[in-house]
Amino acid sequence: MKSNTPVLFQIGWNACINCGACVAVCPQDAGFISAFDTIAVNTQCDIACMVCEDICPVSTITHTQNNEFYEEGL
Amino acid sequence: MHSIDYDIVIIGCGPAGAITAREAAQNGLKVLLVDKRQELGAPIQCSGALSANALEDCGVDASTEFVQEAVYGFSVYNEIGAETNLDYRELKPEKYGTGLGQKPLGYVVDRRRFDRYLVTLAERAGAEVWLKTEGLGYKPLDDGTCEVYLRKFNKEISIRTRVLVGADGLQSQVGKWAGLQTHIKMTELASCLQFVVDKVDTNGLLEIITGHEWAPGGYAWVFPKGHGYAEIGLGVIRTMTKENAQWHLDHFIKNSFLKERLQHARILEIQGGGVPLAAPLRTQYATNLILVGDAARHVNPITGGGLHTALTGGMIAGNFLAGLIHADQPATAENLKGYQENWLDKLGNKMWQLYHTKKEIFETKDIEQRNRMLYDTMADYFNPLSSYKKV
Ligand SMILES: Cc1cc2nc3c(=O)[nH]c(=O)nc-3n(C[C@H](O)[C@H](O)[C@H](O)COP(=O)(O)OP(=O)(O)OC[C@H]3O[C@@H](n4cnc5c(N)ncnc54)[C@H](O)[C@@H]3O)c2cc1C
Ligand code: SF4
Repeated sequence: MKSNTPVLFQIGWNACINCGACVAVCPQDAGFISAFDTIAVNTQCDIACMVCEDICPVSTITHTQNNEFYEEGL
Repeated sequence: MHSIDYDIVIIGCGPAGAITAREAAQNGLKVLLVDKRQELGAPIQCSGALSANALEDCGVDASTEFVQEAVYGFSVYNEIGAETNLDYRELKPEKYGTGLGQKPLGYVVDRRRFDRYLVTLAERAGAEVWLKTEGLGYKPLDDGTCEVYLRKFNKEISIRTRVLVGADGLQSQVGKWAGLQTHIKMTELASCLQFVVDKVDTNGLLEIITGHEWAPGGYAWVFPKGHGYAEIGLGVIRTMTKENAQWHLDHFIKNSFLKERLQHARILEIQGGGVPLAAPLRTQYATNLILVGDAARHVNPITGGGLHTALTGGMIAGNFLAGLIHADQPATAENLKGYQENWLDKLGNKMWQLYHTKKEIFETKDIEQRNRMLYDTMADYFNPLSSYKKV
């Protein structure tokens, strides 16, 4: 599930248990976090290693590739 | 030198932060302890099992305010249900049991109540506590102190202090502020899920279920939770399985050799989190800064237990900082290295050994052999005659 294109993460908040596992495994510098103990959701991720998606105990993290995201006009 | 607001500022009111604060305040330091949460310990990301020794070591009474149930030993299972029963009520009746002169081996605690209790101890020792206060960053200053940036109920505040303590848990950002290497590898972070349930009987033992089939890279557990409740949980290493923790927990409940006992389980709470089965950080200090507890990856890599180490780490940190500041020593990285040295001496070197054992087990390619190694190690670790130095 490696991708080199920058991505934006989405979190299905309904399933998220705010456990912080995604943050612990994230190789980004300080501050790549949301207000709910998760990785950032509105900041582009250039590393795009996707380990956060794998560690999530309830698989509630998904992503869109950032160029697609803009094309869709979101 | 500018006047400082507090001798030390601690970010994170978990067990590590609270005990650091209590020790430092008891030793006469002016302490500020902050947490971004409105209710400590919640949402729960912990099973709450800890030994009676852990509480004794840091002088905390086993108060009914936070104890959910006393426990008296372990039961370790292999993947098909063969069991090593380590009930200390039978192994060491002169010491452990419910009778006169006997005591529990450990407890399952409610983290909401436990964390609040520990923070009360810190406050009573003289520490100031601010909830709804998030740590945002810090900057060392030329005069040897540092500035810590906080947001409290939406208000940005800057505090001048000598030492910043990062006790901000698994998701720690404080270490990253100082450029410390805190990132945990995917192969070393167990992804955990647990249910607090009704209608599952327990018998005062912590039950540990090993086997790649149930919890690849980790283990599953059934713990007593007081008032007739139990907790069923597990942790997995995601590089060792295609499925997530939720899938594995469901599979374990429905298909394991315990399925008859678990089939009527009614889920009352859903909790989860990450447990670093990693080595402790190689560098746990920087200019004006130290890390303690999960933030420094002070977790037992065999059992995944981090409460005892958080409490002990807090004792070491609080006392070290009191000594440093009373001796009027500046908080340079070089001076703060002494904290890590004390910690290695008391705890860290043992944890490094456990880490090597854990690595050897999980790097074994043959699944049957790996299963056997994990089962034997767990059964040995919890045996009263074990050669392991418990942490
Ligand atoms: C599923 C699971 C089960 C576990 N079961 C056990 C067990 O049975 N026994 C055991 O010994 N250990 C267990 N552990 C491990 C144990 O929970 C941790 O090791 C322990 O909580 C570490 O304590 P701590 O004080 O270092 O951090 P934490 O308890 O995580 O506390 C950190 C605090 O910092 C606060 N914080 C974080 N960032 C900021 C910020 N920027 N500003 C302000 N505040 C901040 C958080 O709100 C939190 O209150 C378990 C862990 C998990 C995930
Ligand atoms: S790992 Fe998953 S459940 Fe845990 S905080 Fe991140 S998104 Fe939420």
